[in-house]
Parts: sequence; C-alpha cells; structure tokens
Amino acid sequence: MSRVSLNQAAPDLSLPDFSGNTVSLSDFLGRKNVLLVFNRTFA
Amino acid sequence: MAQLRQDYPQFVARDIEVVVVGPEDAHAFAAYWQKESLPFIGLPDPKASVLKLYGQEVNLFKLGRMPAQVLIDKAAVARFVHYGHSMSDIPKNEEILALGDEINARTNAGA
Repeated sequence: MSRVSLNQAAPDLSLPDFSGNTVSLSDFLGRKNVLLVFNRTFA
Repeated sequence: MAQLRQDYPQFVARDIEVVVVGPEDAHAFAAYWQKESLPFIGLPDPKASVLKLYGQEVNLFKLGRMPAQVLIDKAAVARFVHYGHSMSDIPKNEEILALGDEINARTNAGA
C-alpha cells in the first residue's frame, strides 16, 4: 500500500462530499493549505 | 473530532482547510456532521479509494483503521505526514498549527 512521502507532491484526490459536491485537492492549489484527516470510525 | 471543531478557527486563521476522509457512507457522514455541528469538509470514501491512495493502514487485529494526518501546502506538497500506530496516536492540533505558521512564513518569503 502506497504512502505519502514528506516534501513530495501529495496525490490528487477527488470525491463527492456528503452533500454531493465534488471536492478535489486541486481546488485548493495556490489558495489554501489542506489538513487531510483520515478518520477511523465515528463510533 | 471535537478538538478539531474547537480549534477550527485557528486552522482557518492559518489558511488551512480541514478535510476529513472516512470509510463511512454519505448518510453516516451527514448524520454525524449534523449531530456534532462540524464546520469542516467531510468526504465519505466507502470504496476506500482515497484511503488506499494515501495508504491509511488497517489493523486487522484491532478491526479498525489507524488514524492518519497529512498537511499539504498551497503548492500541493505534503509538509507533514503522520500515520498513527494505534487508535489514539493522533498529533496535537498545536503541533499542526505551528507547522502551518512555518509553512505560511516560508510561502510568504517566496521560498
């Protein structure tokens, strides 16, 4: 399984949010930093 | 997640958007976001496409996914990568916020 490496380009991702709006990492390029949080379960 | 919500304004102040990816479906995400009044982006990933792309570990013995955090700067470069070794192995927000300050200082300096 691949892992992201420090100081390397982060793989682009694109997923619909829970309202159906597609969110891509590239949406934030040049505008915002992004903290990606990979959650375990909500329980 | 409550801690992220509490500190969210500090992330916003540092131009950091918080994006939570999890294995639940859209219905579970929507219900949880509404219940907890979460202000950040939630991305359901029931097919685990992004979870696999970013290498989130699954601990089969403990029957769960290990938490992971990646801080990505405005040039889409990963500046902080943390893969948890246990369910509770999560970096403190203060650590990530301090890194946000460093990244912004570097960006503003044109480095």
